[in-house]
Amino acid sequence: MARRSGFSAQTLSVLASLEADPTAWRHGYLLATETRLRSGTLYPILIRLAERGLVEACWEDGQPAGRPPRHLYRLSSDGLALARAALAEQARLNHRRAAIAGRAGGRRVAARGA
Amino acid sequence: MDRCTGLLAGLLGRSARLLPAARREWAEAVLAEMGEVPAGSARVAWLCGGLWLVAREIVTVRWVIRALAFAAGAVGLVWIGWPGASSNSATPLNRVYVTGTVVALAVLPWAVRRRFGPVHGGWAPRAARVGGYAMVLALIAAKAVKDRYGSKLGAYFVIVPEFWVLEIVLLLVIVGYVAGLLILTSQHVRLTRWGLPVGIGFGAATAGVLYGLAPFGVNVDPNGPSLKWWGVAALALPVATGLLVGRLAARDTRPAVLTPEKGALQGCLAASCATATAALLVAVLTSITIALFPHQVPLEGTPAAGGGPGAGYIAGGGCETCDPVNTVIPPSLRHEYWVEISVGQAGIVPLAFLLFAPFVGAGLGAFAGGFANRSRGTRGRAGGGPHAASPPAPVQPLGHLRASDADREQAIGVLKAAFAQGRLTKGEFDARVGHVFTSETCADLAGLTADIPPG
Repeated sequence: MARRSGFSAQTLSVLASLEADPTAWRHGYLLATETRLRSGTLYPILIRLAERGLVEACWEDGQPAGRPPRHLYRLSSDGLALARAALAEQARLNHRRAAIAGRAGGRRVAARGA
Repeated sequence: MDRCTGLLAGLLGRSARLLPAARREWAEAVLAEMGEVPAGSARVAWLCGGLWLVAREIVTVRWVIRALAFAAGAVGLVWIGWPGASSNSATPLNRVYVTGTVVALAVLPWAVRRRFGPVHGGWAPRAARVGGYAMVLALIAAKAVKDRYGSKLGAYFVIVPEFWVLEIVLLLVIVGYVAGLLILTSQHVRLTRWGLPVGIGFGAATAGVLYGLAPFGVNVDPNGPSLKWWGVAALALPVATGLLVGRLAARDTRPAVLTPEKGALQGCLAASCATATAALLVAVLTSITIALFPHQVPLEGTPAAGGGPGAGYIAGGGCETCDPVNTVIPPSLRHEYWVEISVGQAGIVPLAFLLFAPFVGAGLGAFAGGFANRSRGTRGRAGGGPHAASPPAPVQPLGHLRASDADREQAIGVLKAAFAQGRLTKGEFDARVGHVFTSETCADLAGLTADIPPG
């Protein structure tokens, strides 16, 4: 139930991070800090998303001074639609779970009061 | 810490080169981001994640899997077949076998690849290679265990030079089998469609029957029909394979299939493959059976009518003359000696069959294949004879129509997509594109893309 969209929590956090500004190209370390994922978790997720055509990847243009060119990512149009749907679904589930927990908590309080 | 990051970065860069190009850039991306990560433990953790990524991706690379599987098989063989120091006279022999086989199995693919190209596309050649390697490893391991059991009384089994020669010849024969397997399944040898599965399938079925008749490689029931006659009956195998494959080759219109006289050549190849499969499989199965159940091996000969342990021993081994050092076996050891010599002798006949089976198969198969090809040519397709009902080569509807350039472009598109998806190696892709340009009919083109799933 919790993963109806088929995405893991880690994948959803990557999607959320990319979806926050869908036109911007982001590099891997930025995503890693935003999602608090380790590189060994983040990159396999990015590979999978890129292979399904949900994420576009490219190397930075030109030769930036003092550092190697970065590999950059953003959502494709398919990816953006899917990410929005999945995040909305996730928000709905979280909301409902919070509501159930709140109701159960309320009942427990009521039982204790009786 | 700096040295540690430098080391990890170097390692990551090197190992990334082992990945296919599509995956390599992801590992390079991790490396490119390294400068962003704060120096110290965070950067080390970042690089370790990159190495983990490479390790995850590398197990999907085919040659790595193959190398790991082979290493596991080789270690297993050494584990079983490498004897410790002992008075067992099979010890030096087993060491030679284990070393020779592992080296041959590792080096031959490389040598064959240089001369005959990489493995042929499709499932059958790959499966044949994996199966063949497993067979050879199992044979050497089982033979080592069997020989060890069969010469525990090492002092009475002195290995004479003639015996060494025989064993080295047998080792070379096994190496020859591996080479033959690799060559038959390589790209430059173009067996007709179904040629390899038919050869191996017929061979395996025959091996099953022969093994069932004599699980220990010797007559279990001395009053039963002699094994010799079953061996003669098994000659039907190369004939049947040659006839069937010759006919399949006659129907195969791809220009890539060997011509002229393709029936004879294809029959010869497929039938030698069939007899080799049968001989190898019988040798493997009997050797394993003897190694697992040495106590059930029928004792050689029967105790002479006169009875007594001495009579039994002489009938069993008769080795009072052939053993140069100890001609007299103490009476208390005679039964043990008899058992061991029976175990050592059992399974020799199947191993000897290994030597000439492929040649018999090749000769008979060439005749049968040529005959099938010619008879088909004169009688035409309708007069198919008994083999017309055999599994036919897949025929594409309208396949006989001449191909247009648009058809060729379309086939190349399919091949390109398959190459991009990693279904074809660069070598296989180039070879097939080459064939696309020489193809004349739609069936030829369909054959080149037949093993690629749509989409």
